[in-house]
Amino acid sequence: MKNNIISFVLLQIAFSFTFLPETHQLSSSTNLNLVETTCKKTPFYNLCLSTLQSDPRSSKADVAGLAHIGADKVKARATATLRQITVLLKGAKDPKLKTALTECLDLYNTIIKYDIPVAIDAVVKGNPKFGVESAADAANEANDCERRFIKSPISGSNKAVHDLSSMVASIVQLLL
Amino acid sequence: MADTNPFLPVSTSDESFPTQRRPIKQQLLIIFGLLSVGLFAAFLLGSSNGSDNAYLQENEHGSLDMSTSASGKPEILRPLTPAAAAGVSEKKNMRFAAKLGAESVAFPWNNSMLSWQRTAFHFQPEKNWMNDPNGPLFYKGWYHFFYQYNPNAAVWGDIVWGHAVSRDMIHWLHLPLAMVADQWYDENGVWTGSATILPDGKIVMLYTGSTKEAVQVQNLAYPADHNDPLLIKWVKYSGNPVLVPPPGIDDKDFRDPTTAWLTSEGKWRITIGSKINKTGIALVYDTTDFINYEKIDGWLHAVPNTGMWECVDFFPVSKTEGNGLDTSVNGPGIKHVVKASMDDDRHDYYAIGTYYEKNATWVPDHPEIDVGIGLRYDYGIYYAAKTFYDQNKSRRVLWGWIGESDSEAADVQKGWASVQSIPRTIAFDYKTGTHLLQWPVKEIESLRLTSNEFNQVTVLPGSVVPLEVGSATQLDIMAEFEVDKDALEKATGSNATFSCQTSNGASEHGALGPFGLLVLADMRLREQTPVYFYIAKGSDGNLNTFFCNDITRSSVAYDVEKHIYGSSVPVLKDEKLSVRILVDHSIVESFAQGGRTVITSRVYPTEAIYGAAKLFLFNNATDVSVTASLKIWEMNSAFIRPFPTDEM
Repeated sequence: MKNNIISFVLLQIAFSFTFLPETHQLSSSTNLNLVETTCKKTPFYNLCLSTLQSDPRSSKADVAGLAHIGADKVKARATATLRQITVLLKGAKDPKLKTALTECLDLYNTIIKYDIPVAIDAVVKGNPKFGVESAADAANEANDCERRFIKSPISGSNKAVHDLSSMVASIVQLLL
Repeated sequence: MADTNPFLPVSTSDESFPTQRRPIKQQLLIIFGLLSVGLFAAFLLGSSNGSDNAYLQENEHGSLDMSTSASGKPEILRPLTPAAAAGVSEKKNMRFAAKLGAESVAFPWNNSMLSWQRTAFHFQPEKNWMNDPNGPLFYKGWYHFFYQYNPNAAVWGDIVWGHAVSRDMIHWLHLPLAMVADQWYDENGVWTGSATILPDGKIVMLYTGSTKEAVQVQNLAYPADHNDPLLIKWVKYSGNPVLVPPPGIDDKDFRDPTTAWLTSEGKWRITIGSKINKTGIALVYDTTDFINYEKIDGWLHAVPNTGMWECVDFFPVSKTEGNGLDTSVNGPGIKHVVKASMDDDRHDYYAIGTYYEKNATWVPDHPEIDVGIGLRYDYGIYYAAKTFYDQNKSRRVLWGWIGESDSEAADVQKGWASVQSIPRTIAFDYKTGTHLLQWPVKEIESLRLTSNEFNQVTVLPGSVVPLEVGSATQLDIMAEFEVDKDALEKATGSNATFSCQTSNGASEHGALGPFGLLVLADMRLREQTPVYFYIAKGSDGNLNTFFCNDITRSSVAYDVEKHIYGSSVPVLKDEKLSVRILVDHSIVESFAQGGRTVITSRVYPTEAIYGAAKLFLFNNATDVSVTASLKIWEMNSAFIRPFPTDEM
């Protein structure tokens, strides 16, 4: 059990590196400004900046494009978390932990299969209010997962998915 | 003394606290505060580093519910005795020992809870996602209802037009999809539209398509066979789109055309919502054939800082007659309503004013309550509403989309999302001159089964009275409240401003409120959905009445929204306070003062369901008794189902 937790902490650290700002320089300074001004309107400025700057597509994106990129990042992080949960579930002995993990599996499936695709769809098709709601819902599902544990083995992932989703909801809100 | 805090969800047992009220309140506040802080801290440690955000559903009330669970104690319950006289409840005031027991943190929704949420007499498709009402109309003996529908999932996306018919707007029969996304001009969605009935009885439908490039355009469609009263097959005009976004309007800010109305020149006129920067606007077009359009310079109306206007509606109301009016009627004695759905806050706002046909503009009677900043159709969950003129019964009828306030995970699990409101007749409130009156269409009364009457029930300050009505998940409740006049006079005025949203909800202890009903409450009041009045007396001695719906304790589940909805409601001299409430499983529609102020909420109780759902009167005012008279009907199901194929 303890070993498991340690390995997942390591796993999380590995994941978190994916989200550190890369040295990649944005080619257009005007778009650097757009990323900055957009991120300033979210509750997670630093996360937003590092997430969007790490993706070369951000250099040419408008606000809708940034929202899309953000949503892609949520999806990637949520998918990684789902894998993490699946692995944890295999090793889980405690029935309470098992239940919580199984419930989280459903919640993350909702995020990956419904919340994020709807958010992207709403942005692409130009009816952003549905995107705001779906992205906010993804944040809630991540929180919900966290609350199902007595002691959560995936706090870092839940927090990352929650924060990224909230960030995306804020960006989509700018499109209204 | 415990009665003075009947709603506080923490134990108020007499021995725990000193006897004066104020210290108790303070102590409770401190305890609540500490618990909330503790919980908040735990939450922060658990999942967030303090960068809390506006989208979190958990709120103060959610936390309170959580925190109280830690202090759960065995319940002291007084058994309910059978009604003392036929149909009349015991008048004894039951002590209100509402508190939460030890609740596990996680909340698994089981199938029995989820299936209970499905409504019995509100319109909904058999499964999957629904949003805006579209093109309602009456044709050859049938009411037609179309709606935004995702045939593939219980979340928004892949939008097409669902279709159903009814003889009475209550008993609906599902028909095949009316229109699907099969053309380049609606490939990304067959979005919202409205019907116009031409003088020869033929129907044209204008709707927004999201093109393959996701540009919002307006398209024309019409029934393939006008002899088919069911209007099953629809044809899209080959020359679509008929309107594209005009210069200066963003490709994605041009949607939801209205029903057309006639100008005195004999042209058809429509309006379409949009925005310029953050100013919400309604564009105007004239046409003679629904194919070629002339854009009128300027706009019907614009309100700065209201954002994108969706689902604009425009219709006349008579200042003197209760009848509804055809959309084209204009002249003396008529006012015009502009309604828009605000993309920014997802609420429907209306204003009453004067329409100037010549320059195609409209001016509100009271600029301080203009569209988007003043009155709402509904102070709960209600959006994208649309009226139509029912030529069958000479009335104007309002449809509105009622979304979910649970999680999408729960929606996916139950396989459906959203309902439509019971259609409401809508008319000018000539008594106030500022409001509209909304009232469920009278056909809903055909669902009334057995009724119970309660006359002159006195509800003392700080008390709760159970109402024995049998099953309490499908109800039509009519209630009147009389407030002790001496107490109204004697009450001290205050400068404090009241609002439902910022108050403590039903657990507020005002001199003159709150009082009203608890619907969908379990016996122990762990779960309860109060619908109530609150009278605030100003320091000038004037009384202001508020109508609220507190859903913060509607469910012990934490993954549902918990708000206090409501607004002020004008109460004129000699009017009693009156409320009508339609309870239909997870939906509660409440109408105050004949429909002057309306609140619709979605609630997801976990215990107060099926036979455990009960009804109570309550009065949490400190200084006033109220006398309630009620008539309550149990409601039948509307048995909404597919149209029998052999009769199609």
